[in-house]
Amino acid sequence: MLFFPVPQTKITSCRLLQKKTDRSVLKKQYTVMPAITRDTVPAIFVNQLSHAFRGHQALSNVSFCVLPRTLHAFVGPNGAGKTTTMRMICTLLQPNRGEVEIFGSNIKSESAQIRRRIGYMPDHFSMYRQMTVAEYLDFFGTAYGLTPEQRDRVISDVLNLTDMDGRRNDLISGLSRGMQQRVSLARVLVHDPELLLLDEPASGLDPRARIELMEILRELRRIGKTVFISSHILSELADLCDAVTIIDRGHVRYSGPMDLLLESPAQQTTWNLRLTTALPGIMDKLRTLAAVTEVTEPEFSNGRDFTLQLAEGLTGNDLLRELVPLDLPVASIGQQRRHLNDAFMDLTTRGVPV
Amino acid sequence: MISGTTALFVWTLRADSRSVWPHVVRGGFAFMMLFTLSLAWTNTFGSTRIGLRYFETICYLNILLISVAGISYFSTAVTEEKDAGTLALLQLAGLSPLAITLGKSTSRLVSALMLLAVQIPFSFLAVTLGGVLWQQLLAAWAALAAWLILTANAALLASARCATSGRAAAIAGSAAVVFFVLPAVTRTTITAIPAAVLPNALMTVLRNLPAAIEVLSPAVRIEIILNDWDKTSFVSTQFWLSLLLATLCFGISTLRLTAWARNASATDSEAGPMKRRMPIERCWRLPLMWRDFHFYTGGWPFFAVKFFSGAAVYTAFVVIQYVGTKQWSFSLNGDFGWTAMLLFASVLTVEVLLYSSGSLFSELRQSTQATIAMTPCSPTSILLQKAAGCVVAILPSACWSLLTLCISYHSVTTLVDIETIVVWTLMLAFSSHVAALLSLCTRWAALPLTVLISFFAFFIIAGPVLTIPDVVDRIAITHNYRPSRAFAWAITAFWTWLFTLLPLQLWIRDQWIKLSRQ
Repeated sequence: MLFFPVPQTKITSCRLLQKKTDRSVLKKQYTVMPAITRDTVPAIFVNQLSHAFRGHQALSNVSFCVLPRTLHAFVGPNGAGKTTTMRMICTLLQPNRGEVEIFGSNIKSESAQIRRRIGYMPDHFSMYRQMTVAEYLDFFGTAYGLTPEQRDRVISDVLNLTDMDGRRNDLISGLSRGMQQRVSLARVLVHDPELLLLDEPASGLDPRARIELMEILRELRRIGKTVFISSHILSELADLCDAVTIIDRGHVRYSGPMDLLLESPAQQTTWNLRLTTALPGIMDKLRTLAAVTEVTEPEFSNGRDFTLQLAEGLTGNDLLRELVPLDLPVASIGQQRRHLNDAFMDLTTRGVPV
Repeated sequence: MISGTTALFVWTLRADSRSVWPHVVRGGFAFMMLFTLSLAWTNTFGSTRIGLRYFETICYLNILLISVAGISYFSTAVTEEKDAGTLALLQLAGLSPLAITLGKSTSRLVSALMLLAVQIPFSFLAVTLGGVLWQQLLAAWAALAAWLILTANAALLASARCATSGRAAAIAGSAAVVFFVLPAVTRTTITAIPAAVLPNALMTVLRNLPAAIEVLSPAVRIEIILNDWDKTSFVSTQFWLSLLLATLCFGISTLRLTAWARNASATDSEAGPMKRRMPIERCWRLPLMWRDFHFYTGGWPFFAVKFFSGAAVYTAFVVIQYVGTKQWSFSLNGDFGWTAMLLFASVLTVEVLLYSSGSLFSELRQSTQATIAMTPCSPTSILLQKAAGCVVAILPSACWSLLTLCISYHSVTTLVDIETIVVWTLMLAFSSHVAALLSLCTRWAALPLTVLISFFAFFIIAGPVLTIPDVVDRIAITHNYRPSRAFAWAITAFWTWLFTLLPLQLWIRDQWIKLSRQ
């Protein structure tokens, strides 16, 4: 299920949206994103990527596209090929077949140019633990050719962004895992890359550190970075990301906007209603509504939460029109959305025959 | 306890048997026997004692390899678990300290004993070739086995005590150097110091110290077995004392393992605001050179320690020479010059081998190779920068070696000629490349393997290196080139680089790129 206009045959230009119809579809789907024009160049363009390790087919015809200035999730079970794809995108690994373009540059021929534009955070801790935070960032700043003045400014900026200002002279070995992960993120940002590739950045972090990391990622999107993130924490990705690519056993199962994935056709007619207080006989009242075919009360609702199934062809407006005269103490009402966990389970091995 | 120990032991042996490298090493040892045989045959052709020379070479080579293995292979038995953070998991799994030390050390010891066992059948050729009895052979193997057991357990003690493999290797290496160098240095000092300078009690201790240390020395024991067999027995004090000390080291390692591991992990995971006491200068233009110099080789503090230690050693030689001759001379004469040169050159050799085998490996251990590969630095630049960082670190010992050679040239050349020094320099360059390459292929056996490979390579490289200058020299003189000798050495250096160092450099680069992608 591919929503992006990824051609199935080899293309000669990496320009996105060559067709008028494609542009209109994407404009409709990406209302939160900056305007997509004919000249929009995808941040990542992966086309028919295949790779095998010692006879094991790690990736098979993987194709997807990441638009600039978006947060794009890359999810899949262990061994699905996420890290392999990531390592190809960041030019560390050359694919057996297929092509990868980063901002229009091919990874095979322009890897040096690409490396300056991307920041890669691997899935394992790879740090010089005997350095202080400032020394570590200074080291990578120098490796990227920044002058001492630029390094001073950038180090202050990235430490400020990652909220590590007060820890600049601490040894990395003395930091907690969450803080080390933030230092890793600061390192990725030192050379001001346009595209961030984050491989499992939230793994092993406690809930607080994870929430803080997600906040930083939101901030990065706000300042115009493209973030391609692989993670297993699906609940947070659903709220955070604009788009998602689901990969399983080397095959892309879905690539497109997050909203489209979570809007299951079967659930479009299911609504959740929450009242501020429990009322006697409310179930019977709701059952009398013409627009509602079925009312259920979820477990542990305390008589305040209800799931309403609308009749086919009716919309939320019809439901609201009938609810208002009842004068109920409504706390919230909303269409039920599929959880990313459900979508993930449906699309990966258990749900789809490989 | 038994089941846990057995599981750990069997697992380690299984991992060892599945890996290609141990088998390659065993094959290498068998090849070494063949090579040593041909060497003995060539050197003592026509003599009736070919077998003795053949076996003598094998014994001394084994002493060297066992000692180097103590620094690299055995000293990581427990620290590799600490490095990987799995020691606590083993303890949680119900393994007692005895189970851990037994399981981790015995498998390595068995692997090493198997390397000795591989050689025993071949060594009986020495009896056929003449000059040695089968009883001498067995006594020598017993002495070597005892030395191996002592080395393994002493290194295990260092491994249990230290928090990281690097520190354990450094302590084991320092202990080995002290063990081998101290008797000779003490003897030289006693000879040079007049009787009235030091108190009698101290002089008595100093006089007996070398003999006391040499009771454990396998080299001394082998010499006695091969040259004075009539005056010795099958097993001697060296054998029993080595086993006793090995047991003691093992006992301390086992008893203190939990406490030392707790201390190490407490230091390592201190979550408070750990700040380095001594600030480090700003990153250099070549960041990896800065990284290796400051964070791998010890930086300026260690540089200063090495430089001033070198100065202190040289000054000590000058003072001892003055006490003996009553004449102040900055130039060292007689045995002083070459002894000092030998000391500085040994330190330089050890430093070069340690740095070259550890510099690239330190990146693999910290999993930073991919992160570095993502920077705009090319693989060649990364490798050159790391080499440059290590070169800065060896400057003190290199400077003192060179200074001693220049100032005490006449004394030094009584022991070695200038050609030998050139060959040694080339061999050092070759060994450093081999160590760097092996550190990317094997885990901890890079150093002993380097010694083994360098031993064979010496015979292949030294011949042409010593011959080519003469040939080029003659050709240059014929065609009236001046200065002919310099031209000859330039050609030799180019040849050596082209055919020995360049292929290794390319191989290291390819291996590094391969590992960066993993």
